Amino acid sequence: MQSFAIISGGLSQPRVDNDSPAPRAREPRAKRSGLQLSEAKLMLPRVQPGVVRRPRLFRSLDRGRAAALTLIDAPVGYGKTMLMRSWCSEHPTPVAWITLDEGDADPVRLWTYVASAIERVAEGLGRPVLRRLAVPGAPIEPTVDQLLNGLHTYARPLAIVLDDLHLLGSEPSFRSIGYALERLPENVRVLATTRTDPPLRLARLRARRGLSEIRAHELAFTVDEARELLVRREGIELTDEDLGLLVERTEGWPAGLYLAALWLRDLDDPREGVRAFAGSHRAVAEYLAGEVLESLAPDTKDFLLRTSVLGRFTPELCDAVLDRHDSAAVLAELRHSNVFIVALDGHGEWYRYHHLFGELLRLELAEARLAKPAALHRRAAAWYQGQGLVEDAIEHAAAAGDQPTVADLLAEHEVELFQSGRVAMFLSWIKRLPPELLLEHPSLPAFGVLAAGQLGRPAVELQQLLSVAERARETRPASWAPLLEAIVEVTRVAFLETDAAAAIEHARRAVTAAQADAMNTFTVAALASLSNALFFAGDLAQARTVALEAVERPEAPERPGGYVAALGLLAAIDAEQQRTASATAWARQAIAYAQETGQADLWPVALAHLALGSALASTGHLAEAEREAVRGERLRRTPQPTTAHAHALLVLAEVRAARSLPARAASDLERARAVIAELPDPGRLPALADRVQTMLDVEPARPERSPIEEPSEGELAVLRYLATDLSLREIGGQLYVSLNTIKTHTRELYRKLGVHSRAEAVTRAATLGLLEPPA
Amino acid sequence: MDRLYYRITVEGEIGPRYAAAFRGMEIRAAHGATEITGPVIDQSQLHGLLDRIADLGLTLRSVTPMNTDT
Repeated sequence: MQSFAIISGGLSQPRVDNDSPAPRAREPRAKRSGLQLSEAKLMLPRVQPGVVRRPRLFRSLDRGRAAALTLIDAPVGYGKTMLMRSWCSEHPTPVAWITLDEGDADPVRLWTYVASAIERVAEGLGRPVLRRLAVPGAPIEPTVDQLLNGLHTYARPLAIVLDDLHLLGSEPSFRSIGYALERLPENVRVLATTRTDPPLRLARLRARRGLSEIRAHELAFTVDEARELLVRREGIELTDEDLGLLVERTEGWPAGLYLAALWLRDLDDPREGVRAFAGSHRAVAEYLAGEVLESLAPDTKDFLLRTSVLGRFTPELCDAVLDRHDSAAVLAELRHSNVFIVALDGHGEWYRYHHLFGELLRLELAEARLAKPAALHRRAAAWYQGQGLVEDAIEHAAAAGDQPTVADLLAEHEVELFQSGRVAMFLSWIKRLPPELLLEHPSLPAFGVLAAGQLGRPAVELQQLLSVAERARETRPASWAPLLEAIVEVTRVAFLETDAAAAIEHARRAVTAAQADAMNTFTVAALASLSNALFFAGDLAQARTVALEAVERPEAPERPGGYVAALGLLAAIDAEQQRTASATAWARQAIAYAQETGQADLWPVALAHLALGSALASTGHLAEAEREAVRGERLRRTPQPTTAHAHALLVLAEVRAARSLPARAASDLERARAVIAELPDPGRLPALADRVQTMLDVEPARPERSPIEEPSEGELAVLRYLATDLSLREIGGQLYVSLNTIKTHTRELYRKLGVHSRAEAVTRAATLGLLEPPA
Repeated sequence: MDRLYYRITVEGEIGPRYAAAFRGMEIRAAHGATEITGPVIDQSQLHGLLDRIADLGLTLRSVTPMNTDT
């Protein structure tokens, strides 16, 4: 449903003028108006005091410096993140660190964080990309290109760290990363920690710039490293034999050894502990975790278990969730003594648990029945809401099973979510809500429709959401704001695109509704939709009036999608009515504006390209005309038949006919007719198609050479006889002239026709229409 | 209706704590390994189970479909 790109403008951020003297003072670096970023995702974990330094692994990482991607690939508990972090602290290269989570399966969100992280390290590189990402429906690859170009220009070494790459779990996100890796500039290095081999074209990477890997067997602790940890750091009295047993039993699994350290250091007889452990057949993780948990003081245990439901937390959040005042002290103490609590850099004092440890705590929480996780999540949701961290609030409310709160939060922050490009998340949350809640908050299904449209979801899905929205309109008329009416009506127009009269009707309703909205969020878009409907119905005068109204609205430049569409319509109307100069001006304005607002590859600007193609064809700039028309058609190409695509093909055919490419023009025309045949209401398109047909018939295949020198009467007479099988002498007999005269005429004919033989002469003459039909 | 049954074997014998993570499945721990057997709705659930095993730091040994009467 490309028409939705028209209404994307309604919720875009206001344009930020990069050259303006007074920058938006409120916005701190790397934040944007709209949704606040989770700062914690961009923080490097602080280097833990208890973590063993592993120089041999640093050397491996250094060896991979020429590779585009370095993968640290091993199951949970192998110390991947800690290794990454320690290495960063010893390396001079600036690091853009992003801790990934399941939410980054949405490429928009993923690259928002990547760009933000890069912005912190290389000021100015991320910001233009962030603006672009806020344009809904924008394809991700051009945005990635922009970021990569910036990095290339930056030229200095930079490392991008993606922690927990396996959590991405989505095709589009991985695809975008693969795309970036294949085009990564020489000065940039990507390092990623992961638990599973990522679905990236690793073989291709290896062939190109190399892939460097550090896997489990390399990350496993050696006996020397175990000695460093347990004996030297923790002061546990173990012999080399004990260490050997321990390393063998755990297979060098770092998490196992750190758990063992926590456990053994409090034992009176650690050697006995090791022997018992080594002799048992129990699963290593559970055995050691069990021992550690048992040894905890009850208050500590309580703290750990309850906070385990939080993904990331600050002392304030802990206080709120646990109803305490001393979380800061508890955490500071724990952090020193327990390597499984990871502190993140920065002043906000964010912490999180090591994945395995958190998992173990959560299991224990369920068993100990200390507190209901749902209650804890609810308090967390409230705290996050108070902090303005909407996404986290929604996640926790959902985890608490508190769907009414989820609905409330979504409804309250829907505009922010859209402005920050979180359209995919919004839609996925909406879809998990029960119908009753959607009916209670009519804005949700309406915005859901908008989201689905912008994401290019199938018509069936849009129809479903539309039905819910319309039911909501009926059951809660008081909550049905004009804005929502405008959304629904514009959607209807998109669905009924091919029923001209109904489309105009719904578009008019959309305009009325949009104008009733105080913010005029959708007025430009609705007017553009109406103009579009009128254009395809053939009412060019009205279409022009409406489009002018749209572009003259004061808020128009801040409604990118609608503005471009309206400018494009003005261009198309003027082009069709032969006002070439005006058409060109409108078209160029539309295209320039689309460039600036990151819409160069989106649907609304297609019409501008087509119009420009037509206009340029009229003024003889045929090569450029064809380029523009091709671009326009490409942007309008769809798998299913649409009026817009058929129209685009017709314009392309027309331009190619003008350029004397009859074969291609005919093929475009044929494709257009094929699409038209499938449209229930093709409106004026068949007439347009006929017009193109006429053009093609009138301009037959022109010869490649310039016009020939006109043959004389005598030469023409000979030419006609050349087409027969009479010999030259016999032709002379027929025309009562000598053989010599015939030969002279023939020579002249060959010269004028540019040929070297009788057969060629005949063919050429036939093409030029110089031979009369046989009597 | 056809039910899928799977037997997943992991390294090490697991105790009650970890067993709680596999509600609805039969746990049999012996000779340094554990068999986790039970019904699985579909492939998605199966992969969910395998993810759980990875999250808990267990080492996977085998995944075998079973007939219901085994």
